[in-house]
Amino acid sequence: MQFDARIRSTHHYASSPVDDPVLTVTDAAKSFGDVSALAGADLTLERGEWIGLLGPNGAGKTTLVRSVAGRVRLDAGSITLLGEPLNQATNSRSHLGLVPQEIALYPELTAEENLRAWGALSGVAKAELGERVDWALEWSGLAERVGKRVKTFSGGMQRRLNVACGILHRPEVVLLDEPTVGVDPQSRERIWGMLEALRRDGASLLLTTHQLDEADRVCDRIVILDHGKVIAEGTSAALKERTAGAGASLQDVFIHLTGRELRE
Amino acid sequence: MSATLLRVAWIHLKRDRVALALCFVLPVVFFSIFAAIFSGGGEGGARSIVVLLADEDDTPTSRRFAETLDDMGALRLSRGPAASESNPDPAPWKRESAHRAVRSGKAPVAVVLPEGFESTFGDFGGDRPAVDLLFDGANPVARATVDGLLQGAAMQAAPDLLIRRGLDQLDRFGGGLTDAQKRALDIFLPVVRGERSPSSVTGDPRDDEAENSGFGGLVPVRATEVGAEEDGRSMVAYYAASISVMFLLFSMVGAAGSILEEKERGTLERLLASRVSPGRILGANWIFYALLGVAQLSVMFAWGAAVFGLDLSSPQRLAGVAVMTVATSAAAAGFGLLMATHCTSRNQLQGVSTVLILVMSAVGGSMVPRFVMPPFMDQAALFTFNGWALDGYLKVLWYDDPSATLGASLVTIGPEVAVLAGLTLAFLGLARRAARRWDAA
Repeated sequence: MQFDARIRSTHHYASSPVDDPVLTVTDAAKSFGDVSALAGADLTLERGEWIGLLGPNGAGKTTLVRSVAGRVRLDAGSITLLGEPLNQATNSRSHLGLVPQEIALYPELTAEENLRAWGALSGVAKAELGERVDWALEWSGLAERVGKRVKTFSGGMQRRLNVACGILHRPEVVLLDEPTVGVDPQSRERIWGMLEALRRDGASLLLTTHQLDEADRVCDRIVILDHGKVIAEGTSAALKERTAGAGASLQDVFIHLTGRELRE
Repeated sequence: MSATLLRVAWIHLKRDRVALALCFVLPVVFFSIFAAIFSGGGEGGARSIVVLLADEDDTPTSRRFAETLDDMGALRLSRGPAASESNPDPAPWKRESAHRAVRSGKAPVAVVLPEGFESTFGDFGGDRPAVDLLFDGANPVARATVDGLLQGAAMQAAPDLLIRRGLDQLDRFGGGLTDAQKRALDIFLPVVRGERSPSSVTGDPRDDEAENSGFGGLVPVRATEVGAEEDGRSMVAYYAASISVMFLLFSMVGAAGSILEEKERGTLERLLASRVSPGRILGANWIFYALLGVAQLSVMFAWGAAVFGLDLSSPQRLAGVAVMTVATSAAAAGFGLLMATHCTSRNQLQGVSTVLILVMSAVGGSMVPRFVMPPFMDQAALFTFNGWALDGYLKVLWYDDPSATLGASLVTIGPEVAVLAGLTLAFLGLARRAARRWDAA
């Protein structure tokens, strides 16, 4: 993976006193009216692990991620973050970072102003904010555009800043929803490089993507969700071997498990 | 190809309810409002003008004149303040008390029948004491109406007196109807008809001054705008308040639309995921919009003062304007949030709020002064934001008592401030309720 080694995180994530999973989703169920979005999904994310959460449209990926982010209340089941049951008031939520699929930035603000705003809103102390913003600007390769308004940025630059705003408070668990959608290969490489630096610092990532080749390349483990349930999980190699056979791609595995029928 | 494009355009319009409302409903609503205002139609009919009568002459002729005026229907004559528990038998209006009442906005016009009214009634010249018409400059319509009705009442009130006075005038100018006198009358009659100036007959320029003070009518009337000279009031105050309030609403809705943009951009969802509660988001936005409103109104009034001579020099006015500005901005900011949280897109917000604000502004007096509205419309104004905000501002800028203490002058706007505060709470409460959909589902 191409990545500028000079750009390194200057911090390390705190270690939990025990080696328990950082995130556990148990028997999660959620319905919206007659539509069942989650139907008993289970998931475990270990410290420093990257999980690629795959599934066809409507499989329940976004609902699962939003549940972990505290934006969806489960009808049944539970979520535990750093050993603590997750709810609106849970302190451990400050250890969670969310990078949404949308470019959720303020376009009239500069990169620095966006970082300052999201850092403050995520609970970064005022005394640390300047140092964190400087680090994030370097980390995302935006230091030279520090004073420019975000609306003048290219799609790739906005994506990088979008990721930077989500991890500025140094969360132990990062939820990434399609972090590289709509960007060119160069920006994509840069974003994966940025995330790789997080992995080295011990962050755990739960990533949803439709770009199966990338998931295959960067994730430690693949979880495939369909009809609200986890239908397969394991390393990419194990999944290939179990389902489509040796030499198959992750896409072959995906199609094998979820079928060719179009999902609306 | 054209047919296809027409069909697509029609489908778009048909499915865009806001565009349909702006296209067909808003013009009809506006037409109805203005038709009701200017035709005086609808339930309640045209409004009658309250006229305070101070009869300093207190003679049979002045009383007959007053009765005739009262019977004319277009006026509601008040001879004294309404009885109250503290004052069960109030004294009739005097010049001073009537002046104060008009000054404070209790009535748009007061008529003072001066001493000597009877003895000079029907004279066309000479030193006739003028009937004083004290009017509220905010209501020029009432002044013109009452002025005309006074002449009509003079004609109907005492025709016998008019004939006698007419003969006296004939004797004075004709002197026994000699040929020379007939010629003199021929010369004078055009003066009565207002076709020539009196000085062209008498050669004395002072007679022109006499005409200016009422020579041209049966009853000489001296109209005085109450408060215009001593307090420096001007209609700028009315327009400053009415235009400011209307544009404040547009500004607040425009600013609150940023919430919908945040929703579309995903920053709202990100904020909510950052453990920022919907209540806190609404609260922070409300404070910002309210401060923005205060700044906007302050700029408007400062401009009015600097360029158009709006008098804000007294501490009472300044404090009153400040209180009203804060109360109005707070409520307008709440209104903006209410609209933004109930709409699902910026386009919808723009369309719906334009309809609502224009209707509220028309009914509430921001476009047409409420004194020209029929009574039912005037009452309807009390159901609008603009109506209460304008009432408060006019109390401060127009109907204020310069001699009142700071505290006393602020007490007068208590009801308006209380209603605006209530509206603020109601708007914010409804906005918070609508923002429940932001909560975790």
